[in-house]
Amino acid sequence: MKQVRYTFTLSVFTLLLASCSKFLDVDPKESVSDAQTIFDKTSAEEAVNGIYSALSSGDYYGTGFQSIGYLSGDNVQWTGSQSQIQEFINHNVRAENATISGAWSAIYRTINRANQVLTKVPEVTDPQLTPALKDQLLGEAYFIRALAYFDLARTWGGAPLITSPTSSVTDNVGIPRSTQAQTYAQALSDLEAAEPLLPATTNRYRATKKTVWALKARYYLYNRDWPKAEEYATRIIEDNANYKLVAPYSAFFADNARGTEESVFEIFYNGTTEINNHRNQWQPQINGGTRQWAPSNAFVELVNDPQIGGNRNVLVAKDNQNRWYGNLYYRSPGSDPSYVIRVAELYLIRAEARAQNNDLSGALADLDAVRARAGLSASTAVTKEEILLAIENERRLEFAFEPHRWFDLVRTGRATTVLNFTDERKYLMPLPAQQLLIDPALTQNEGY
Amino acid sequence: MKKLLISLAALFVLVVAKTQDLRTVSGTVRDAADQPLAGVSILVKGSDKGVVSDQEGKFTISLGPRERALQFSLVGYQSQDITIINQTILDIVLQPGNRQLDEVVVVGYGTQKRKNLVGSVSKIDPSETKSIPAGSFDAQLQGKAAGVQISSNTGVPGEAVNVRLRGATSINADNAPLYVVDGVFINSSSLQTVNTGGKATSPIADINPADIETIEILKDAEATALYGSRGANGVVIVTTKRGNYNQKPTVNLNVSQGFAWAPPLWELATGPQHAELVNEWWVNTGNSFETRPFRPVSEGGRGLPEEQQTYDRLSEAFRTARLANYDVSLTGGTKGTRYYVGGGFNQQESILKPITFNRASFKINLDQRISDHVQIGVSNSIARTFRNQARAGDGPAGGLLQAALHTPTYLSPYNEDGVLVGRAGFDNLTLLLEHYNVKAVSLRYIGNLYLEAEILPDLKFRSSWGVDYNNYDESEYWNSYLISGSPSGLATSSVAQNVNWLNEQTLTWRKRFGAHTLGVLVGNTLQSNEYDRTYLEGRGFANNSFTKISSATTITGTENWSKNTLASFFGKIDYGFRDRYLVDFSLRADGSSKFGANKKWGYFPSVGAAWRVKQEDFMQHVDIVSDLKLRVSYGVTGNQNGIGDFASQGLWSGGASYQGNAGISPQQLANGDLRWEKTEQFNIGTDLSLWQGRVNVEFNYYRKYTRDGLLELALPATSGFGTYWSNAAEISNRGFELSVTTENFSKRDFTWITSFNIARNVNRIEKLATPLQYGSRNLILQKEGYPLYSFWLYKELYVDPQTGNTVYEDVNKDGTINADDRQIIGSVWPKFFGGISNQLTYKNFDLGIFFSFQYGNYTYNHNRFFGEAGGARDAARVIFAHNYHNRWQKPGDITDVPRPDGVNVNNYRDGGSRWLEDGSFLRLRSLTLGYTVPRGFTSLIGIQTARLYVTGSNLITLTSYSGPDPESSANSSQNQPGIDLGTPPQPLNVQFGINITL
Repeated sequence: MKQVRYTFTLSVFTLLLASCSKFLDVDPKESVSDAQTIFDKTSAEEAVNGIYSALSSGDYYGTGFQSIGYLSGDNVQWTGSQSQIQEFINHNVRAENATISGAWSAIYRTINRANQVLTKVPEVTDPQLTPALKDQLLGEAYFIRALAYFDLARTWGGAPLITSPTSSVTDNVGIPRSTQAQTYAQALSDLEAAEPLLPATTNRYRATKKTVWALKARYYLYNRDWPKAEEYATRIIEDNANYKLVAPYSAFFADNARGTEESVFEIFYNGTTEINNHRNQWQPQINGGTRQWAPSNAFVELVNDPQIGGNRNVLVAKDNQNRWYGNLYYRSPGSDPSYVIRVAELYLIRAEARAQNNDLSGALADLDAVRARAGLSASTAVTKEEILLAIENERRLEFAFEPHRWFDLVRTGRATTVLNFTDERKYLMPLPAQQLLIDPALTQNEGY
Repeated sequence: MKKLLISLAALFVLVVAKTQDLRTVSGTVRDAADQPLAGVSILVKGSDKGVVSDQEGKFTISLGPRERALQFSLVGYQSQDITIINQTILDIVLQPGNRQLDEVVVVGYGTQKRKNLVGSVSKIDPSETKSIPAGSFDAQLQGKAAGVQISSNTGVPGEAVNVRLRGATSINADNAPLYVVDGVFINSSSLQTVNTGGKATSPIADINPADIETIEILKDAEATALYGSRGANGVVIVTTKRGNYNQKPTVNLNVSQGFAWAPPLWELATGPQHAELVNEWWVNTGNSFETRPFRPVSEGGRGLPEEQQTYDRLSEAFRTARLANYDVSLTGGTKGTRYYVGGGFNQQESILKPITFNRASFKINLDQRISDHVQIGVSNSIARTFRNQARAGDGPAGGLLQAALHTPTYLSPYNEDGVLVGRAGFDNLTLLLEHYNVKAVSLRYIGNLYLEAEILPDLKFRSSWGVDYNNYDESEYWNSYLISGSPSGLATSSVAQNVNWLNEQTLTWRKRFGAHTLGVLVGNTLQSNEYDRTYLEGRGFANNSFTKISSATTITGTENWSKNTLASFFGKIDYGFRDRYLVDFSLRADGSSKFGANKKWGYFPSVGAAWRVKQEDFMQHVDIVSDLKLRVSYGVTGNQNGIGDFASQGLWSGGASYQGNAGISPQQLANGDLRWEKTEQFNIGTDLSLWQGRVNVEFNYYRKYTRDGLLELALPATSGFGTYWSNAAEISNRGFELSVTTENFSKRDFTWITSFNIARNVNRIEKLATPLQYGSRNLILQKEGYPLYSFWLYKELYVDPQTGNTVYEDVNKDGTINADDRQIIGSVWPKFFGGISNQLTYKNFDLGIFFSFQYGNYTYNHNRFFGEAGGARDAARVIFAHNYHNRWQKPGDITDVPRPDGVNVNNYRDGGSRWLEDGSFLRLRSLTLGYTVPRGFTSLIGIQTARLYVTGSNLITLTSYSGPDPESSANSSQNQPGIDLGTPPQPLNVQFGINITL
């Protein structure tokens, strides 16, 4: 009897030991192992959607990165209590700034997703993934990576160039910064790679050959290659079956408009699974926002001046406490598009390129096209300098709450003059302090 | 699983039932003063049969033919053995003994007498504190046990409290102790997902404190090593009430009613004072006096300061809260069955409208003897906890105290059209209070089924199954009057289920060979925790009458699932020689599904030794010392809680959709080497008992060192990832604990017992490659060489009497004040903390006075940061009266409050040290006066005992902290304690109650 009892007890423990290793293997259901990720047509398409999703995230084109472009200008005031937003307005951004570090990380997250696609999609052997579709997917990945490096170059100058996917914790760390020129060159080479891969169709939410042309126009404007800037801007402007300045100004965003002919590239949010919280910063409490970012008094005055703002005064409105708020992003739940490239920009790019090339009448024609749409009379500028200034001021109103003003004044070297500060080293944002701490290969921009 | 079932089935085969002829002995047990003694354990020697005397001291027990001796024992009395020849009626008198030494203490997988303990264990009788109105029993225990630091962060009942045993060992893994209720390792992490401004509900609040018999807190490695996997933060063992065999049914009824109110709240500047300061700021900033904001309306201003109204929002938000508690229980047993049945209903309003906490609970504990050798039993408790919640922490939308406290007092709740409007970015308080609709219902079952069998006379087998099931159902409805619900309503619903099961087998063998005692324990457990949540959100309601998601125009949802498993094997050998020298050794191996493929298993050994010096011959004649013991132990325990269930795996996830089309993306990188966080602990202690146990002293000194600390390590962003889980930190804790209990008087009519405890813990981050910032505005920095939770601030030296500007310490002497000048100033850790309690009885009266204290810790008064910007925030924030009365106004003024000034923005810089305050306090935690109605009177109406009592808590708090409560903390997450923002204080309260035993 005793023997039997011992045997039973022992066998109980033995059985338990044997079953343990299996018992301890638990796999998630909400995620999959990274061992096999992109392997057929569907997963390839989904991985490309993932890149767009990263581009649309709150820290990148959702809110954070955009705000660097307009808060650093002169159109917005800050009504909250956290100093990090005020730092942009005061042109004294600290390396600890959370918006800066959020945007930096979000851009590299986007780049990694593009790199995953660029490396893994060519290896997919699924016959359903036709060569044409494969090219298109790769082209989209190249385009978004180009935009990401372009944004890095204009915001921080030189950035580490990452072109391979990260698959372990030792990948893509400890990479020193390239120069600003090299970073721009990476953006251009990605655009050149994307262009032949993409179809020449019109799609306002995804990259096509035309989207590449539009970004190339902006790229050459920033890099002062006026003929090329004009050439690529013209390709879009002349495609007037698909792209035109919609009138009035509000037509491209008001009344839940999206994907209008104004748009060359806008980021889509469906308002349910893809939310754009940008509105929360702008809308007043009565509309469920925080109105932490409000139009500055100077801007309110300008935009309400019928000779300057014209019908663009729809960008601002008053709340139940008689306070002005910005009204470009207003949809609830947040499904406002992020406007990346509008045709108005291409008109103003061409105007500037033509003016720089001394084609003053051509420049005025493009400038006036934008003014006319805003319900304004033709510009009274005459000389090249006057025209360039008029274009600068037009851009301030036209893209008031889009990420342009700061980058425009920086690329023309006029930021210190117009925004009234002295230290030109502030033209480049600081690298996030935390990144410098954890990656000794990185160096800080001068002046920080 | 199947194998487990087989193992259980095998057990039942082992059950051997026997029956024998019996004879019966009955009698009464009394004390030396001839008072009947209840609860005396009467054991048949040589068997495990036993009964317990009833309220009148009576008992009846059956003896087998060869059973000849009975042992009578009761804590605090000397045991007595009686040999039965042919008596059938016995009158027994027990002599007083040493209460402390004979106390039975629950330890890992068993019980021990305190005198034989090798480890460091605190035993708490919850009866003294259970009337403190807090939702969870842990919140009631502040100051009760040495080395156990308990911080109640808020005055909201049923919210999570911070419990830290001997400091904190981890940054990203959990620092809370393991809670074991009747053998079930219960979940102690909140299932709350609704945003209440950083606060979280306490899952411990699902347990009715009235059902708890004892609470044991295991502290050193010797005591906790058997619980290896989570022993690093200590173990809290909760034993609920059970019946006794052969005990008459006893009904206990406890009813109390009470009120709670707020301590003195914040003092705010009046409307005119606020306006005056804004004008002063305007002029100091360099603007002209003529254009000051508060100038006559005729000049285009907002009216002169003296014309401003003052609107009191705080009185609107706070109330005198009602408290009610009803508990009823039935205890008893027959020869083979014993039972405890308890039901309770607890109702607590928060002093901050509209927050409430209600709990209905029901409990059945049953034990059945199947034979002399086999016993089977169940513990079941089921509770339904209902909460009306609100954002009583950080965050503008829906933030109650932000609306009540942070809105400038001069602003009317109405706009020009007479419509209620929110001000300063916050909700309108009246609308908020009227329309708040956030509810959480927790349904919790904690159960255990066990079988205990004596395989051989010295060999016991025990198997048990435990389940902790929690269904947590939350809903919110924000209508269009509220910021969160603008413009057309927002409703959310979240239903989460957490199922935690545990199976456990132990085999114990214990034998005495002359002067030697030897015990062996081996066992194993299997555990699994599965979490499942479904969330729905609806927006766009036709109007405010529709509040359910079915009426929404846009509905979105999500689902989460997660699971982890743990397999453990453990063993312990203890050896005693002549009851003088005790040594033990234990080892536990834990395998966790969370860790990397080759690092799943962790091994946790411990060794302990004790020397009962008093038993030595040379101590026998030292009469003053009734017991003296020295203890030493060393061991390793582990931690894995708080990290993601799949933390070591490389993952991609879905959900990265674009244009409504599915998208996938990388989620986290693998770390195949992710392994257990391990804490080594060394403890040396002594137990001293003097004058026949009238003075008992326990002292412990410990050192803990944690290696392989679990950390979400930052990866350079260029990788495309933010962090990955790794073992990268080292943290140490060292300190001492002292507790002293004295029986000052022990007369028949008058007794007086004093208990005092004090502890000190020194915490230090020994290794951390890069400092980590936490909390609002990075107020907290975790940095190597400093304690966890250190405040990272700009040090304000003084206000320059000439200019009125704050002068900061320029740490790097570069002439400017920027982030490089931030420095660590103080931490949330107290220099020492503890409690002192006095229990007095005089005839039928009893009085309990219990203080808890904490000294040398800091609290960041973040409310003051917002309220002391000296007019700079104008209509955006309230101004505190302190700012108005103490501001610098003219050269020569000596003050710590700078002048209101918009040029020198440094005067109200984020993270200034001016708002870091001493958070020390001495608190009258509870004061209870009771009166037991004379027995002669109550027995006339069939009542055994009746006690009337009145109890108050937090009635006195001595502190120099300027906010209402030095313990307030806005956020329950472990890395941001000690920041007081928008949090209601703990209330003062008084309750009246009656306790009746039938």
